[in-house]
This record gives sequence, structure tokens and C-alpha cells, in this order.
Amino acid sequence: MIATIKAEWRKTRFRPAFFVTSGLLALLAVFAYGTNWYLATHPGATQRDAVSILTLYPDQFVNNVMLAGFPIGAAMAIVLGALYSGSEYSWGTLKTLLTQRSGRLTTWIGRVAVFEIWMAILTVILFAVGAASSVVVASFQSHAIAWPALLDVGKGMAAIWLILSVSGALGMALGTLFKNSAAALGLGLVYLFALQIIAVRFIDSINNGAYKWIGDLFDGQNTNALLHTFTSPVFGPAAPASIGAERAVTVLIIYLAAFLVVAAGLLRQRDVT
Amino acid sequence: MSRPSVIAMENITIVETHSLTKRYGSGVLAVNSVDMSVRRGEVYGFLGPNGAGKTTTLRMLVGLIRPTSGTARVAGHTPGSPAGLARIGALIESPGFYPYMSGRENLKVVADLAGVGQKRVDEVLDMVELTSRAGRKFGTYSTGMKQRLGVAGALLKDPDLLILDEPSNGLDPQGMAEMRKLIKDIAQGGRTVLLSSHLLGEVEQICDRVGVISGGRLVIQSTVQELLGEKGVVVRAQPSDRAGEVLTRMFGPEAVVREDGYFHLKTDPGQSVEINRQLMASGIGVSELRPFERSLEEVFFQLTGEKQGS
Repeated sequence: MIATIKAEWRKTRFRPAFFVTSGLLALLAVFAYGTNWYLATHPGATQRDAVSILTLYPDQFVNNVMLAGFPIGAAMAIVLGALYSGSEYSWGTLKTLLTQRSGRLTTWIGRVAVFEIWMAILTVILFAVGAASSVVVASFQSHAIAWPALLDVGKGMAAIWLILSVSGALGMALGTLFKNSAAALGLGLVYLFALQIIAVRFIDSINNGAYKWIGDLFDGQNTNALLHTFTSPVFGPAAPASIGAERAVTVLIIYLAAFLVVAAGLLRQRDVT
Repeated sequence: MSRPSVIAMENITIVETHSLTKRYGSGVLAVNSVDMSVRRGEVYGFLGPNGAGKTTTLRMLVGLIRPTSGTARVAGHTPGSPAGLARIGALIESPGFYPYMSGRENLKVVADLAGVGQKRVDEVLDMVELTSRAGRKFGTYSTGMKQRLGVAGALLKDPDLLILDEPSNGLDPQGMAEMRKLIKDIAQGGRTVLLSSHLLGEVEQICDRVGVISGGRLVIQSTVQELLGEKGVVVRAQPSDRAGEVLTRMFGPEAVVREDGYFHLKTDPGQSVEINRQLMASGIGVSELRPFERSLEEVFFQLTGEKQGS
């Protein structure tokens, strides 16, 4: 198992897709902070609602960073997951891996472990850039720097890691299902940005919301619910969530496990041609 | 009582299949009841036209695909079992490596998975003469370099059995010659090599035994010598009656076959000089004298029913 993890780490640490995604996520955080800072200091500059400068200071950085997790962060995780598993088929590297002495399941577990490490790295990058950006804003605005409680930072990081992991696992499962990256990536993004949104809206509209509980089972709904638990009064009034944080976490963990188990089953049972 | 004979068989054969069959979901019968045995220490040529079932058979031997029916034992284990794979090095179809990584880094990944020390990476790179280019990205390699890196990857485990699926695919004549030399060198140390190919010359030059597969069926399995049949000498001489007498006196009536004005002699072609001398001494004019040997190509086309030159 250790050997498999070592091999997976060796091959991903040089992989451009992971570096590009890390860079994009960092840029996204900086861009979001920069835009909101401009909007906060130039009220009326756009048609958008005014942004409170208080939301951009370090004590609020966790709440702020959470917004980058979904759907953009999730989309990036789907792309990474699809590339990570799908390209093993198109490059023919899967047969090289599977003809070594590790079994198929061991190979898969090693791969998942390293992917989860990368999701953790992306989370750390997002939080580090968010924190740094908030310090820059506070410094320029001559505002005292105060940090949120460590527990809140931990909870926020765990939530983002879980959200990225679920989406990444979806990408990996689709990559394994289709045995290539392109179809997996396409379907994953269509699911994220269109399919589930349409499905949830349709289900919620039936019989005046009689089947809303079904819509609430979708991963996107639960991700949104989890993200909305990270807020504070400075962000303005928040709509009451129909899904609690604990339930959202439970549902997302079930999705994560399901995607990984299905993909493992496909890898174990199917011929590698 | 049966246990010693099982051990004995495992000592002799390193690959053994019984009625190995693969039918794909689409209904295509890719491999049909193949009984194949590869002996330890030999270079076994697995011959067949494109689409005959060579790669499917090899994929089953390394556990990449599961047979529909039949059994196989490879290096004493079920195909695909970690213990068996530990003793097998394989290059199946094209070499599969990460294009964004160097040749050396790719081999290090394989070495990690194979449980082999990193020192071995440099050894195998040296064996395939890729050391100077090992730092270049795999994606920039030529076809020949890719194939050689594939062989290096297969050699990492210092395997008892090396399975090479069409290693000369896509190589130019020089690359093919280099690959042949490499395989011969690899086989020197008593290692078993199972080589699939549709290049008859390659197989004829390298292999001790061959199995010919056609339409998913193993149509023959024997030594190259057995497959090519007896060697002989063809003679055309005048006057033919007197020539027949001389040749019959030399080799006996059963070794002389007269056909279309030619004498087909079942004898060592090394006798050609003596045949010529005897005929000339008897005042017989020799217009043609040449060794006779069936080529593997002829045998192959005969066995597979393929048309030569098609």
C-alpha cells in the first residue's frame, strides 16, 4: 500500500494539471477578494449589491473563502478527477500499473489516497491565499488584524476538502466508467452546472414542493447548505436552510463513498483492453 | 503420487493454458480454446496475423482481462495474482508511460509499484541503452525509444518470464535489428521470453519454439526446426537417369525423390560439394544445385490459410 501511494505521489507531483488547478484556485481567490474590495470601496460602481468591507477582513476570511469552493472549486475538482483516472486509459498507463505486483484494489486505494492529499493541498492553498488577501485588505484599510477561531478555520477547511473530494470522486468515477477523460469531464461539468440544477428545480416544482425532500438529496443542494452554514451577520441576512449542516455532511460523505466504491468496482471487475 | 508430477511440470513449463477462451460482450470470439505451454528458459514465439488473438491471449496471461472459460497458470500462479506478477515483466502492445515525465521518472514509478529498488532503474536503462536520454520527457521520445523504455520497464523486476507483445511494432529496420539483439541478450541468462509477433523473420531468428494462432485458435506449437521440416538439397542434372543412379547410390532410394525433372535429396545441405563432385566425376552435367529449406513464412501461410503477398 505504501509503495502504491509512493508511486502515485511520484507521478502526480509532476503533473501539470494539479499545478495549473492550484494556481487557478489561488488566482480565483485573489480575484474574488480584489473584485469585492473594489466594490466595497466604490459603492454604486456597478449594478450589484454593495459589498461590506467588513466581510473582507481576516476575521471573516473563512466565510469568504467558502464561496470559492462551489461551484468553481467543485468544477475544478471534477476536471482533476476525470483527468486523473481517465488519462490512465488513454495513455495506456493503467495496464503498466496493473501488471506490477500490486492488486487492482490496492492500486485504486493508493490513487484515492493521493488524490485526497491533493484535495487537501488545494484546500490549504485556497485558505492560505484567502487569509493573505484578507491581511492585504486589512493593511490597506488600516484595520486591525484579528483571526477567526482555530476551530472555525478547521471546520471551514474540512468542509471545503469534503466538497472538493465529492466532486473529484465524481470525476474519477466517470473517468473510470468512460475509460477516458474527455467524456468524463464533459458529463461531470454538465451534471454540476445544469443537470442537477434542472432536476432539483423540476422536483421542487412538483405538487408545490411535495417532493422537495428528493431534491434535497442531490449533492449540490447539500453542498450549498453546508457552505451557507459559514456566514456571519456582516454578510447580511441569510435565508434559512432546509438542510442542516450535519445532514449535509452525512449526505456528502455518502456520495463520496458511493462514487469511490462504484469506481473501485468498475476497475476491479472490468477488462483492461 | 500426483504432487511430484505437478511440481515437475511447474519446473518445466512457466506458462500453461488449458482451453483458454475469450468471448467479448459483442459476441466476438477472440481466443478459442487455446492450449499453450511455454517452457522455462526458452524464447517462445507467438505468431499470428493481426487480429488473430495474440494480444488478447497475452492480456489474459497477465490478468488484464479475464477469460470467458479455461484456465491458465503463469509462473506457477493464477494470472493477475500479485505473487505471479512479481515474477513477470510485460510489455503489452504499446508502452504505457506518462508523457509529462522523463523516462527515468516513469521507471521510478514502475519500480515503486513493483517493489524494486531505485538502483535497478539505472541498471535497466543501461541495458536498453537509454541512459543518456533518460532525462527527456517520455512524450518527446521516438517510437524506438518508447519501445526500449517499455522493455526496460518489463525488465525492472528481473523477471523469470518476460512477455513482449510485438516489441518491434513501428520500428524502422535498424530499430528492429536493435530490438532483436536486445531480446537475444535478454534471453542469454536463461530467462524465458514469450514474444508475440507477426514478423516471421524476427521469430525465425530469435525463437526456440513457436505457437501459431489464427482466428483465435492455436493451430500448431512446436520447435522452429520441426515446423520448418527436414532440410535437403535440390539437384538438376543431365542425363537425369544416370544422375538418379549416382544419387541413389550415395543416399539410398528413400532419400531421393524425383519430381518435375528435379531431384529432392533428404540430406544435409552441407553435402552439396560432395554431390557436385560425384556427379561431375560420373560425367554428369549439373545445371542446378541448391539447398532446400521451407521458410517460416511458407509454413505460416500454409497453417493460417492466409495468402502470400496479400
